[in-house]
Amino acid sequence: MALVLGIETSCDETAAAVVDEEFHVHSSVIESSLDQHRAFGGVVPELAGRAHVTTLGPVVQRALVDAGLNPHDPAIEGIAVTAGPGLIGSLLVGLSAAKALSLAWGVPYIGVNHLEGHLFAPLLEQSDLEWPLLTLLVSGGHSLIVRQSGPGQHEVLGETIDDAAGEAYDKVARWLGLGYPGGPEIDHLAQEGSPGNLKLPVSMTGEGYDLSFSGLKTAVVRATQKQKDLSVADVAASFQAAVAEQLLRKVALALEHYPVKGLALAGGVAANSALRLGMTELAKEFGIASHLPTMANCTDNAAMIAAAGIYRLRHDGPSAFDLSASPNWQLADVS
Amino acid sequence: MNLIAIETATPACAVGVRTTSGVEVTRVMNDGRRHTEALVDGLQSLLEEVGLVPREISKVIVDRGPGLFTGLRVGLATAIGLTQALGIELVGVTSLEMLAGGAFDAGVRGTLVASVDGRRGEIFNQTFSLDAGVTPLDDPRVTTAEREVASWASPAGTITITGDGVHRYLAIFQSVVGIIHFSQPVPSLHAALDIGSDRVASEVLVPLYLREADAVANFSTRERP
Ligand SMILES: [Zn+2]
Repeated sequence: MALVLGIETSCDETAAAVVDEEFHVHSSVIESSLDQHRAFGGVVPELAGRAHVTTLGPVVQRALVDAGLNPHDPAIEGIAVTAGPGLIGSLLVGLSAAKALSLAWGVPYIGVNHLEGHLFAPLLEQSDLEWPLLTLLVSGGHSLIVRQSGPGQHEVLGETIDDAAGEAYDKVARWLGLGYPGGPEIDHLAQEGSPGNLKLPVSMTGEGYDLSFSGLKTAVVRATQKQKDLSVADVAASFQAAVAEQLLRKVALALEHYPVKGLALAGGVAANSALRLGMTELAKEFGIASHLPTMANCTDNAAMIAAAGIYRLRHDGPSAFDLSASPNWQLADVS
Repeated sequence: MNLIAIETATPACAVGVRTTSGVEVTRVMNDGRRHTEALVDGLQSLLEEVGLVPREISKVIVDRGPGLFTGLRVGLATAIGLTQALGIELVGVTSLEMLAGGAFDAGVRGTLVASVDGRRGEIFNQTFSLDAGVTPLDDPRVTTAEREVASWASPAGTITITGDGVHRYLAIFQSVVGIIHFSQPVPSLHAALDIGSDRVASEVLVPLYLREADAVANFSTRERP
């Protein structure tokens, strides 16, 4: 069974994993530098870069040993590494290490698009899923609606025109005096509040599938300035409901126009309880399968990078050693 | 022992190899490519040139700083990847030691100030005596050309300055009487191979950044009452 080693260092997670050609995960190791960033209310690129340098070696080592491989001569077919998008100083650490491993072991390596990696997450849990698939990919850095006709075959239907969904969560959490990252904080607080006490506008960006979250953040700021007696829990509940409503309305619109066999959720914001519930209900309504990967597979990890790498190695062949990291690599430019 | 040395702390990207039989080849890839694009590519062709396969490497010596943060990380990640993949020793040397060694090998003697450009108006310096081999006289430090010159005794006596930290501020350094400039834009790989061949690997390689991440520096300043 051919194995691929995946490496992911695009943001604050240092991850390595070993996955086989049928997308079975043999090992998956993740270390995060999140605690170092909390006080700053966001990921500090230089701190993330420094953390990757000290963490990556041991993380790769553990992923190989956990998969039962000899760390100095692993029987692998190739190495897949995130080459973008992401923080340049962080991407470079994983990419440089992957090239070095490739040279040392004499096995090919390939630079993988991080967002395409997220699209492979559902395959880690169910390799025989039915195509086509509609995927909502929402994270701290990205918000996209993607139609997939098969593994590695995707069309971006819409994406955010300003902030990413997770970014909006962080900004609103900061405004409300909550901790970082904002997603879990707001989600948790929203359970105690009621969205009925504050009506926030649901931004609809015209007829297409594009998304927008910056107006919603402004609305929260204005409303809380005007109504000082609003409970933070109610604001959190209203905000969460408005984010989910926008996302779900756009997904429903896409489902009406593009008949698919399944609906998938990916990215860190997939942890959101309102979104998970709404996506399950939508899938039921349209009579299609729903794919909500476990949180470990939704948030940044290297197993999804390895899975995408298996596909790309077979279809595009390996990358050359002079490959650069691409901090702004668009999913639409991957084909 | 087949040794390789990696230098990425300055804008140039450089690699060197010294084989058991004493063949030594070094290469500076100052061709406009970034460190990520040039390093492993250059290393592969260097190994081919001397007829070594990666599994024959017994030790990797890497410049652990101070220098360009991004460049350093490319070098460190590459060195960590290679040594971990092959199960071989990883040894760190500093860019300032490499500069001092390079100057000594070229015949410079007396007091030497090695200087690496830290950008944003700052330089990373260390003072050495080159009278009997290379002896550090102080620790690596962050400073500016003005502060460095002001710290010298007056008259300064004869001091040799070297490294890419000097280039940008040459006029300031040369305003001091008795200063000799030994031009050395890239820390010496030959010196790295010499220093690294005797040095025992420590358990973890500690990068020498000498400066905190900006956000941390700004944050602690802001929090100060
Ligand atoms: Zn991600």
